[in-house]
Amino acid sequence: MDRDKERRKRLASLPFSEKLKILEKLRERSRAIAASGLRKRAIRQQKRNG
Amino acid sequence: MKATLEMINRMQADGVIGKYAIGGAVGATFYLEPLATADVDIFVLLPMAPGGSLLSVAPIYEYLTARGCRVEGERIVVGDWPVQFLPPHDALEQEALAQAVETEVEGIRTWVLSAEHLIAIALETGRAKDYARIVHFLEQDAVDADRLNRVLMRHGLVPKWQQFERKYLEE
Repeated sequence: MDRDKERRKRLASLPFSEKLKILEKLRERSRAIAASGLRKRAIRQQKRNG
Repeated sequence: MKATLEMINRMQADGVIGKYAIGGAVGATFYLEPLATADVDIFVLLPMAPGGSLLSVAPIYEYLTARGCRVEGERIVVGDWPVQFLPPHDALEQEALAQAVETEVEGIRTWVLSAEHLIAIALETGRAKDYARIVHFLEQDAVDADRLNRVLMRHGLVPKWQQFERKYLEE
């Protein structure tokens, strides 16, 4: 928990430009997951497992 | 994001928009760790139309589509990012724009809403993701409590804040 807090604090202290680059990577990753259909498959799997 | 901000600044220099500031998750990222989001909220002042007619974001869309940007529902893709342009709809958002913080992204001048205004707008909007963002600000001590109190008082949001505190901070 403390380690997670530390990590978030460290990320928060980065310059805005750096944080926006991370944001862009997060967005690209989300889009790639959505395009691959992985998310839909995971939801279907979850529903099947109740 | 650089290309997005460059295009918005050009649009401002060309007089299509007045002052603008980044809000939402991207704005919050100025103060916090990066918060995943699919789009950018830009609060924007629109120049008064001749005759004082109703303000519309149509000139923004016309300007941007003429420069190759693509409309996606309520958003328009500028550079790499879908952007939603939001003219201020109440006194809180007008004040938020007036008091936005100037910064730079990769050498490009831009403005971001203050942490206190981002919180007040999130409180007013009131979706689950907005409340989660407020919790992030509080957890990371990224807010000036006195300044936030003054914003909440000025805009009649104290009762809503007390409700939020009871529901999310006291459990």
